[in-house]
Amino acid sequence: MPLELFKTPHIKFLKYKYHALALTFLIILAGLINILFGNGLKLGVDFGGGTLIRVIYKTPMSVNDIRQTLRDVGLGNSSIQEAGKAGKEFQIRTTQVIKAADSQQELEAHQKLADQVIAALKGNDGAAELGRGLIDLNNIDSRGLTALFTTPFAADAPALTESILRLRNDKGIFTDYGEVAQAGLKPEVLTFLKDKTFLGKLTVVSRETVGPQAGAELRRKATLAVIWSLIGMLVYIAFRFKLEYGVAAIFTLAQDVLITVSFYSFTSREINLPIIAALLTIVGFSINDTIVIFDRVRENQKAKRKEPLETIMNLSLNQCLGRTLITTGTVFLTVGALFLFGGKVINDFAFCMLIGSIEGVYSTIFMSCPIVLIWTKIFPKTKGFRK
Amino acid sequence: MKKGLRWKILLTAVILIGAIVISYPIKDKIKLGLDLKGGIHLVMQVMTDDAVTMETDQEILRLQDLFKKNSITFTIVTREAPGKFTIQGTTPDQEGKVKDQLDQYLRDWDYIFAGTSTTVTLKPLALNAMKEQAVDQSVETIRNRVDQFGVAEPIIQRYGKERLIVELPGVDNPERIQDIIKTAAILEWKLVKAGPAADEATLLKEFGDKVPEDMEVLKGDPKRRAEGFYLVEKVAAITGKDLSLVRRSQDEYGGPAVSFQLKPDGASRFEKVTGANINKPLAIILDKKVQSYPNINAQISDSGIIQGHFTIEEADDLVLILRSGALPAGIKTLETRIVGPSLGADSVKAGLLAGLIAILSVMTFMIVYYKLSGVNAIVALILNVVILFGALAYFKATLTLPGIAGIILGIGMAVDANVLIFERMREEMALGKSVMNSISLGFSRAFSAIFDSNLTTIISAVFLFQFGTGPIKGYAVTLIVSLCANLFTAVFVSHWIFDATHTKNTKKLSI
Repeated sequence: MPLELFKTPHIKFLKYKYHALALTFLIILAGLINILFGNGLKLGVDFGGGTLIRVIYKTPMSVNDIRQTLRDVGLGNSSIQEAGKAGKEFQIRTTQVIKAADSQQELEAHQKLADQVIAALKGNDGAAELGRGLIDLNNIDSRGLTALFTTPFAADAPALTESILRLRNDKGIFTDYGEVAQAGLKPEVLTFLKDKTFLGKLTVVSRETVGPQAGAELRRKATLAVIWSLIGMLVYIAFRFKLEYGVAAIFTLAQDVLITVSFYSFTSREINLPIIAALLTIVGFSINDTIVIFDRVRENQKAKRKEPLETIMNLSLNQCLGRTLITTGTVFLTVGALFLFGGKVINDFAFCMLIGSIEGVYSTIFMSCPIVLIWTKIFPKTKGFRK
Repeated sequence: MKKGLRWKILLTAVILIGAIVISYPIKDKIKLGLDLKGGIHLVMQVMTDDAVTMETDQEILRLQDLFKKNSITFTIVTREAPGKFTIQGTTPDQEGKVKDQLDQYLRDWDYIFAGTSTTVTLKPLALNAMKEQAVDQSVETIRNRVDQFGVAEPIIQRYGKERLIVELPGVDNPERIQDIIKTAAILEWKLVKAGPAADEATLLKEFGDKVPEDMEVLKGDPKRRAEGFYLVEKVAAITGKDLSLVRRSQDEYGGPAVSFQLKPDGASRFEKVTGANINKPLAIILDKKVQSYPNINAQISDSGIIQGHFTIEEADDLVLILRSGALPAGIKTLETRIVGPSLGADSVKAGLLAGLIAILSVMTFMIVYYKLSGVNAIVALILNVVILFGALAYFKATLTLPGIAGIILGIGMAVDANVLIFERMREEMALGKSVMNSISLGFSRAFSAIFDSNLTTIISAVFLFQFGTGPIKGYAVTLIVSLCANLFTAVFVSHWIFDATHTKNTKKLSI
């Protein structure tokens, strides 16, 4: 006997179609109200312009400390988020609105603002050491470090530099020289480093500035790409099935995007290019799900011509339920792993997918099928499937 | 062995081996995007109008010369816009002569006479060609500079009409390289008439408070400790174009400097100017900013040095920029993304861990739930991933974070294809069909759903590739490749494995 989660059930899904449509409507309404009048959607640097800075501190800090530091220099309204790694990693987004006559000046102003943020965070850390001619080992580049090593350890300079920088990449930042020693350094090298360098309190791991012109362009291109790909899907489904199925698919996609975005708007996460990729992935899974059901409906219709469409749809949904749960389950597992272990950069993306993978099943059952049913009620003439 | 099976196995083996050979070792063959590897991503715009303006000014100078030579009188020639200027004050009886000159020497320009003034505009085709050339030349110059700086695998490409994308993986000193790329590198030597002064007013006091027609006011470069304002001659004694050899050397105090040699033509001009202006300051100007203004101690002919309180690095960079030549137009940055290597390494590590956990749990589930058929699915899945990486290596595609998203969707749909087939087989068996019949019906009945869903997604991904930018393109590429591989492995390969492992006599299907 095959191992089965359950026997093919007989749930009358479509009995609840109007309840579900109402629920969908409510969720989207709440999301739209929140987007338009509440929190709003936070556009990330990709679309909204400005600068996103990621820093790692040597010792744990709190968001409030950082906010206070920035407030002291008049940059208090920057958004600050902790980004994992035991309170050492933070993500700072400058949100000051800059309006300049020229987009280049605007970009430069953003850059300057970012410089100010970094300068404020650093404070006067390392000033004394730099004054004594020491070099910050947490911020030195490979050329600089090789040059530093050249005097006493000429032959080993490139190898030493590589092993130290690889370790630094791994750790993000050196907290003390004990950590530096893990690069497999000889005692004399370590003594030399202690003598010539110091460990600065923070390092900037990334910084991204998008000017107004580029931001507008990215927005335009992303919108264009999404619209065209939706049209492509509509045309194909209308061609392979029937027009109402294509229309239903588009409604489903709209629901997928709107519901996910609604949930997203209630978090403090930002919309960036990878989030667009996540939304498209959700749409992809959802359309896959929808087509599997439609395919089954197409097949069942041929076998049971007398049955009403609603009965056939319920039957198809039930027949495919095992497959739906297994597929969604595996996707959920994958995305769940990404969400838990994927690190900060991918976290927003995984969050989006987590909502979307469940929502995709819901939308197939309670949006795709009902729309086709409603359509056939309004335009009852069309019959049979195109082959 | 069953008919045709041999060929199916052979085809699969060839593709599998091909994919492995192409993508091995994976670390070198799959290029990671900047978000995973660290580096700099710049989007820049070439100010092509600059190039046209420069060209227009040159033509105006040439025309004025020609008019003087041919004794055509005029009051003034003014540039109205890039690629458009007017000649004023010519008498109507000179119209023929003016026409002759314009026809003969300014072939790319259209002109309209209106009484005493003539409007001259660059023909649209020539204007476009000039802009195109400015962009192409900028790409070339930037590539030169980046190559000389020593960046491995830089990407410098045109993007749209006037934009460039510069991607420099693994660069860990972003500020320096940005300066190198963006410096227009227009180098000029001009005689200093007054300055430095704290502001323009003081500077112009002895010239009746206005800039004399043949002079201009320039600012000093604070980086070179040459603050203040300078009044210099408009016409340069020599320019960067006259240089033949540039290298880093030392000034008389042992500080880093850049020494140069001049081409013969430039050398003779330099000799004349320096000979006539001994003990007067000569400004060295880079991109309209005064770098230094040494006194001319003696007549100089074919070589000299550029001083400016440089550090060794700065002197090296200046040499590099001068060697690669000037940019034909100004460059404006639209977008800068600098990703440190540690952030990318973090993402890769975390992504791998998550991927591993996900794949292991999916595999475990497939085996527990579908038993031996589950093993079949896993083989197909692994083959799918191998082909995916082979194809990525073959097309030299770059793997980015959104690209990983594409892979997730691809693998998700691959698992789904197997689930669809297996569930269908179970249904057919429940209806009492034989093993071979169930296998065959499972594949044929599930095919339309698999085909339609994969093709729909491929269609949408093609549009995303066509219209999307960077990350979205990366997503589309992995998705398309993964889904194509999926149609091959889940439908074709999985089917022949079933055929090969089951015969008419097989009583039970392990599913």
